[in-house]
Amino acid sequence: MSLLNPLNPSLWRPLPTRGDANRPEGPRQKPVYRVTETDEAYELTVQLPGVSKDGLAVTSDASEIRVVGQRTWKRPEGWTTLHRESVDSTYELVLTHDNAVNHDHIVAELRDGVLQVTLPKAGAIKPRKIEVN
Amino acid sequence: MRIIRYHQPSARSYAPVIRGYHRSPWSGLEIEIDRLFNSTLGDFASTSSTQFPVDLYEDKDNAFVRAELPGVDRSDIHVEVVDGYLTINASRKTKDGHCGQALSVNRSVSIPDTVQSDQVAAVYENGVLTVTLPKREESKPQKITVAVK
Repeated sequence: MSLLNPLNPSLWRPLPTRGDANRPEGPRQKPVYRVTETDEAYELTVQLPGVSKDGLAVTSDASEIRVVGQRTWKRPEGWTTLHRESVDSTYELVLTHDNAVNHDHIVAELRDGVLQVTLPKAGAIKPRKIEVN
Repeated sequence: MRIIRYHQPSARSYAPVIRGYHRSPWSGLEIEIDRLFNSTLGDFASTSSTQFPVDLYEDKDNAFVRAELPGVDRSDIHVEVVDGYLTINASRKTKDGHCGQALSVNRSVSIPDTVQSDQVAAVYENGVLTVTLPKREESKPQKITVAVK
């Protein structure tokens, strides 16, 4: 999965981690997302309908950005289901990168089921002009 | 209440299952493959720009329609009940500076006569639109006692 959704496409694939104790149970689905890039930052937009701030966890480390969103709506007692098209499973999105993000200034906003994350680029990867002697 | 996505009924789907007497041993597999192609091709043709998932529920007093519409302003959602159809129309505008991705989605659900059309209410929360359609009084399940002479 990590080779297929890099934040900053690269050929380096990190080893899979195992034994995440606080990972919630159950099947996962991948949300619709989009990454755009400017010189200063990456903009990540993820569609997470049905997820509120309490059910959302965004983490970042040196190699990946992970978004886990749990849908908190429970069907009330007395409601009969006639037709289902949506899926109740947790949203999970993992984007890999290679130390490309400056963690201290990540800004995330969840509004109306859309998560907008601004990931500033780490200084080392910003384009710079090099003087030639 | 039915979603309008009409599947052509095939002769095979109505054939009675009498232990292989009228159906070939492959008909079960064929029906499954037909269904797989219908759903797969249907989804590719219509994902992400014209369709959104819709769930239907009911209880004894109301029918409920839940539609997943993340990232839409409340003013851009239009819910209409016309002629026995509930139509949900939503458009998503992009922020300034991004290349045009304004898209508009539209979906209609047929609702039976048993709904009080003038009392339909809708709530938009966390990207999910929930439309509540109260049932008419006379169509709620009622207990009728019959005196036997």
